[in-house]
Amino acid sequence: MSLQFIVDGLLTGSMIGLGAIGVTLTYSILRFSNFAHGDFMAWGTYATLAVVSAIGATFGKVAPIGPLSFGWPLLVALVVGMAFTALLALLLDKVLFSRLRSQGQAIIVVMASFGASMALRSLLEFTFTSRPTYFSRAIQIAMPVGFGIRITPDQIALLALTAVLVLGVHLLMTRTQTGRSMQALSQNAALARIVGIDVAKVVRVTWIVGGALACVAGVMIGILVQIRPFMGFDMLLPMFAAAILGGIGSIPGAVLGGLIIGLAEAGAVQLIGAEWRAAVSFIILMAVLFVRPIGLFGVRER
Amino acid sequence: MSETVLDVHNLEAGYEPGVPIVRGASITVRKGEIVVVLGPNGAGKSSFIKAIAGLVPITGGSVFLDGQDITTAPAHTMVRLGLAFVPQTENIFPLMSVEDNLRVACGILERRDIPARIEEMYAAFPDLVRQRRTAAGNLSGGQRQMLAVARALIVHPKVLVLDEPSAGLSPKFVSAVFEMLAGIRKSGVTILLVEQNAKAALAIGDRAYVLVEGKDRHEGVASELWNDPVVAELYLGQRPQRQQGGAA
Repeated sequence: MSLQFIVDGLLTGSMIGLGAIGVTLTYSILRFSNFAHGDFMAWGTYATLAVVSAIGATFGKVAPIGPLSFGWPLLVALVVGMAFTALLALLLDKVLFSRLRSQGQAIIVVMASFGASMALRSLLEFTFTSRPTYFSRAIQIAMPVGFGIRITPDQIALLALTAVLVLGVHLLMTRTQTGRSMQALSQNAALARIVGIDVAKVVRVTWIVGGALACVAGVMIGILVQIRPFMGFDMLLPMFAAAILGGIGSIPGAVLGGLIIGLAEAGAVQLIGAEWRAAVSFIILMAVLFVRPIGLFGVRER
Repeated sequence: MSETVLDVHNLEAGYEPGVPIVRGASITVRKGEIVVVLGPNGAGKSSFIKAIAGLVPITGGSVFLDGQDITTAPAHTMVRLGLAFVPQTENIFPLMSVEDNLRVACGILERRDIPARIEEMYAAFPDLVRQRRTAAGNLSGGQRQMLAVARALIVHPKVLVLDEPSAGLSPKFVSAVFEMLAGIRKSGVTILLVEQNAKAALAIGDRAYVLVEGKDRHEGVASELWNDPVVAELYLGQRPQRQQGGAA
């Protein structure tokens, strides 16, 4: 068995993990499963692509950075895309989720997110067609790094970006007043208000963080695989599996869950064939729910 | 007579429109006092105090804190207005450390003042120091109550409002909690509390109100109320419950 699956798995796992952070935050703080989270990924990716194209049209061809397949336009576009996705999430919350949430029935919000997911996805298909597109068609040479593993410069850069973002979110959650407020709200919403936490503000931060990271995850898929309207929806099951595997509400858990599922998927592709890839996260999800429903980092409610 | 800190006038409140639980209750709390609200089970004591804290919708009457109308103020603005509330149960964040429980409540303090203020709380509640890195959910019942009170006091409230601080505690902790409240009052904090444990509460209180069916029916000096026949009658012909400290 080739060890190449480790690199593939870590990359897939990074994408899943970044997406799962948003899922786990929404679930623990807003208390509903946001099925539209995958479509935030796709929208963020298309927004980034649009900005890249606009920069290309304005400045002409820009040389890539070092050995990477992309230049500064993608980095600028990514930041714009993250802001756009965060705004999209905030807008959707304002017009749809917040009203339903105030009625206090989580299942209605979940169903609404399902509807929003379909609407968002169809709008993308309508606008950009379902044909796959790419940030770059340049072919990268994968470098051998020993043990039969090869890795491209893009892959190294994106793994590093994931590490930085995960560390950043972890520090935000544990070292800042905003992060502590988010933890507080997820543990006891009524008490959070009593101690003076403005719930509406924390909810906004939650959408901003979740939306921005969804965009990064989507752009990673766009760079390493391809851009399609269904790209985010296809990630939904692995993301939920990762969030539940890690323990709902846990940022390190979501990322570790993502990496485990990514590695398991990549390993399964090698061992039993690519057609079983999608089954892996489903099996892991069921196994976790059966053996340890609170997840790796989850804590039983006392 | 010293100045009024909290003035609740003819308060009506309830979760559902048209079904008031609090039906025209009035109390005043003066600076430096401990005021106790007593009443039989189902009298609406808890709803009354939660309504003051902004947690139960108010449908009539008014709440003034230090001369300011806070009747319609949202719950999360109460600490800034000067009212700190300690709920009866689930009054800590179980998965956060003791220190983070304190720190998360410091949102209205100046950032540079927070570390010193946390140390002041540890000095006042030495039991918490050793547990500062412990998840609050692992604390004993009495320590949880201390943490909840410390968390409320950390923002220098004008009035500390507690919903049955002795509920669910073992008798040993009940006396510790009431001693703690007496000590807090000595440091100059005004306290309003609702209690089932009438005897222990009256022992530390200055004045008390008896709430029956959502209305204040009787008021008196705390030390005299225990033997007041009117109070006994309001408790449906019984003496106020002589509890051994257990929860109602």
